[in-house]
Amino acid sequence: MTTVPESRTAVSPGQRHLLLDPGMDLTLRPMRYPQFFDRFKDAIKNTWTVEEVDLHADLADLAKLSPAEQHLVSRLVAFFATGDTIVANNLVLNLYQHVNSPEGRLYLSRQLFEEAVHVQFYLNLLDTYVPDERERFAAFAAVENIPSIARKAEFCFKWIDSIYELRKLRTRADRRAFLLNLICFAACIEGLFFYGAFAYVYFLRSRGLLHGLASGTNWVFRDESMHMAFAFDVVDTVRAEEPDLFDAQMRQQVRDMLAEAVDCEVQFAADLLEQGVSGMPLADMRDYLQHVADRRLAMLGIEPMYGSPNPFAFMELQDVQELSNFFERRVSAYQVGVSGTVSFDDDF
Amino acid sequence: MTVTREQAEPEPRRQVMQVRKRNGDAEPVDVNKIVKAVERWVTDLDEIDPLRVATKTISGLYDGATTAELDKLSIQTAAELIGAEPQYSKLAARLLAAFVDKEVRGQQVASFSQSIRYAHGLGLVGDDTAAFVARNARKLDDAVDPAGDLRFEYFGLRTVADRYLLRHPQTRLVVETPQYWLLRVACGLSQTPGEAIDFYRLMSSLAYLPSSPTLFNSGTRHTQMSSCFLVDSPRDELDSIYERYHQVAKLSKFSGGIGISWSRVRGRGALIRGTNGRSNGIVPFLKTLDAGVAAVNQGGRRKGAACVYLEPWHPDIEEFLELRDNTGEESRRTHNLNLANWIPDEFMRRVEADADWSLIDPSDAPELPDLFGEAFDEAYRAAEKKAVRTVKARDLYGRMMRTLAQTGNGWMTFKDAANRLSNQTGAPGNTIHLSNLCTEILEVNNDAETAVCNLGSINLSAHVRADGVDWDKLRATVRTAVVFLDRVIDINYYPAEQAAASNPRWRPVGLGLMGLQDALFTLRLPFDSAEARDLSTRVQEEILLTALETSAGLAERFGPHPAYAQTRAAHGQLHPDLWGAQVTQVERWAALRDTIAAHGLRNSLLVAIAPTATIASIAGCYECIEPQVSNLFKRETMSGEFLQINTYLVDELKARGLWTASIREQIKRAEGSVQGIAELPESVRLLFRTAWELPQRALIDLAATRAPFIDQSQSLNLFMSAPTIGKLSSMYLHAWKSGLKTTYYLRSRPATRIQQATVAVTPAATPIVAVSDDEALACSLENPESCEACQ
Repeated sequence: MTTVPESRTAVSPGQRHLLLDPGMDLTLRPMRYPQFFDRFKDAIKNTWTVEEVDLHADLADLAKLSPAEQHLVSRLVAFFATGDTIVANNLVLNLYQHVNSPEGRLYLSRQLFEEAVHVQFYLNLLDTYVPDERERFAAFAAVENIPSIARKAEFCFKWIDSIYELRKLRTRADRRAFLLNLICFAACIEGLFFYGAFAYVYFLRSRGLLHGLASGTNWVFRDESMHMAFAFDVVDTVRAEEPDLFDAQMRQQVRDMLAEAVDCEVQFAADLLEQGVSGMPLADMRDYLQHVADRRLAMLGIEPMYGSPNPFAFMELQDVQELSNFFERRVSAYQVGVSGTVSFDDDF
Repeated sequence: MTVTREQAEPEPRRQVMQVRKRNGDAEPVDVNKIVKAVERWVTDLDEIDPLRVATKTISGLYDGATTAELDKLSIQTAAELIGAEPQYSKLAARLLAAFVDKEVRGQQVASFSQSIRYAHGLGLVGDDTAAFVARNARKLDDAVDPAGDLRFEYFGLRTVADRYLLRHPQTRLVVETPQYWLLRVACGLSQTPGEAIDFYRLMSSLAYLPSSPTLFNSGTRHTQMSSCFLVDSPRDELDSIYERYHQVAKLSKFSGGIGISWSRVRGRGALIRGTNGRSNGIVPFLKTLDAGVAAVNQGGRRKGAACVYLEPWHPDIEEFLELRDNTGEESRRTHNLNLANWIPDEFMRRVEADADWSLIDPSDAPELPDLFGEAFDEAYRAAEKKAVRTVKARDLYGRMMRTLAQTGNGWMTFKDAANRLSNQTGAPGNTIHLSNLCTEILEVNNDAETAVCNLGSINLSAHVRADGVDWDKLRATVRTAVVFLDRVIDINYYPAEQAAASNPRWRPVGLGLMGLQDALFTLRLPFDSAEARDLSTRVQEEILLTALETSAGLAERFGPHPAYAQTRAAHGQLHPDLWGAQVTQVERWAALRDTIAAHGLRNSLLVAIAPTATIASIAGCYECIEPQVSNLFKRETMSGEFLQINTYLVDELKARGLWTASIREQIKRAEGSVQGIAELPESVRLLFRTAWELPQRALIDLAATRAPFIDQSQSLNLFMSAPTIGKLSSMYLHAWKSGLKTTYYLRSRPATRIQQATVAVTPAATPIVAVSDDEALACSLENPESCEACQ
């Protein structure tokens, strides 16, 4: 472990720490951001392992897909092959460094673990779905050779690089740059790219296809929901501490960034759906992405840009309590952490 | 699949969107044609907008799609509107029925008898049924109810179409319509066409359905129609263990659900005399069982399923309780096995007294699995001096509770109540060693005999009107049901000799119930009210009484079952007597006793309440004796995702002018709870509570009060959003004290959930979605559905 003495010298006695103050705060008590610690504990209860997902049942479905649907799935898994790794990289290179709260870093450590599990899940997925080795290598290299995926990757790299050189958030401009990076990963990458990808998976599942992929995705989706919630929590905290950071210019930058992300994702959708998939027209996918983008803006307190309603009834189903049959799939409902001791007069 | 790198050349856009017909011709998409196809089905549905379905279908289509794709999309489109208007469920079902019909007719099948002949030629239907249908073709063809499919809801019919209808072995096209399927099931169990038609009508009305194995296999070449098999523990030797693997595989292959005990096999560290080595214990053997069960594919419908039972004095009990954990060494995890504790009263007494508990190796006390009651207590105490280890009873009980909370598994089933309160344990040497995959079957077995049970369930909602239960109709249904459950025993194909050895001797059947919640909604009785408890008990008394009457009548004609002399009934003790329970129909019970004294019983056991997961979906009612889990939830099955709305609530809201988009949103946001809807009066909110919002004590008390009229047991799920060890240990102690023989899953909810994607966000809201104790009631969640091998 490295100790960074600066953490103690950066703030003079009596002065309140701010979340984005440079340094490596080590003191958990008194806890400044207990809500981050709660999120850390909740995340642990969601532990799942890749071995719990049975992907082999999907192979029979894959053989049944039309060429258009096969194309959709192959592009989709190619995106999954690298998506979570990119998020993990940004977490390590940028977020962990600058969110100066030990409890916040606990959560980020946990998130990093979850991203690793997701990477492993998609690794497993591709190994199972793409038995031919050469095709498999091509899928993993999608960032380089599939233009619609390369464009999304470039968008991500641009924002990783935007603060890569920043070692410390010394100025107001530094902090704004950091916030934009954070918002980009929460609202655009986890909150839009992944939500777009999940929509294809749930579309297929609503047709009774690829349950293995869907059950793993359920767990990934649950984790990603938490990641996004944490990131927005950090944004809200910083805004409360330093309200002037979030001005009109920043709002405009967020809007521009989201608009670019929507464009990226729409061109990806155009590629996925180019052969015509019954029940998922490109126009609906565009509406859906715009609808999601508006929601991200709403979470940041910014006026919606598109006003598009959600066109996908199967996504509304994702908001509804799930009952699933034990004989068909394993359920993602169980809790890992349980507390208490044996007693006989508790209320039940 | 292949990863495509090149994009195909897009075809030039046509002016008007075209579809390709089944014969290959292209034609322009015509909205009026779709509207007409919808209108045909909605004469009795006043809330449907055919144009809306048609335009939405077309907007989802792509140029050059096939008409089959168009048909499928229109079904899907109708199904997606169910959330706003439940009547679309009926429409989607009818469009699907029309689609299936087209598929069957497309193979030159125009009648029931033709479908049987065709399927027989394909090797699907058995010779006897084919001959029976050929002999009675005209009568049977005329019996098909053309309106039968109108009764299905979408989810039910989708399940039927995807999994129950016979399919062509190569083309995978369905070769029978839903009504042909039910008539085929009836013919497979009938001796006369009149009998077949009566049974078909009962099933087609959805007032009663046999369990899934019967619905899958009746009339086919392999008529394995039993749901449950209870396999005794292997003997403590290698040959016996491997024989059990083989037996389980054979039983699994034809849709049976397996319960198997493992209490006789020695624990880790015990001496193996043959090699002078030490045993690795039961876990590696269960790992092998796990893989074996997963490898067996039940006709492509689902993987095999099994539940392992272990008594808590076994030295490997702690490792057993960890078999389903999702952390730890994979070689010691069994993700496909269900786990149950088979608990003697002595253990619970020691938990209560905070006493020690001895773990004893079965090789040191091989008699323990065969004993119950005082004989067990004595033998156990005597064996304690040979204990491998001693633990605090409460520590072990706490670990059981932890397993329940973390995995929902590790079901608590009670050995002494199960044996003391059974008709089959009337003679020494007959012991119930375990329950089944769904904890509702309790039957004696042994090394050479595997207990078998075939099941069916009455849909109570079809026997209730707003003014009460239609008792005559209920009795009539029970009589028909018992006759056909009994019939299965003789026609059944037994996949293992041990099963064939047991079933004809004891002839047990399990007549169950579903739709209790529907009945309570219809009668407007809150689930935890005294009136609900009374109704459920009276219904159960009627079912057991009528079932016993029918079985005594069968005994009069065909003789009692061969092992009758070994039953308690042979000594004049009927099931309510074992409980010391009050009966209300005193005269009928007295007359029944006389009949039984004169003729005996054809069946040693008659009533068991199975989970009914799948058949309740087909019948469109709530599962077995369970409260609703949510007013709004979805089901995920191999067929896709399905929104389920409480239509009783929808009717109530409509009557009050409250069925609005904003209320729907509110229910969705509250994850299926209506407790926050202030516009609803308190009494209505009480009626529409979910399983998570009901006191679990009430569920247990309801079960315990009806238990004297269930001669086997009931699959009783318990629900707790945020379980703690304290709450669980209190709850299960109460369940044991109230005399329940078995409990089933502990349902709980995940710690956090996926962020809602379509419910409006409030600006700058922090969308944390953790479920804490306090907010758990308002925020309901994913929850597993119950067993299906049984139903």
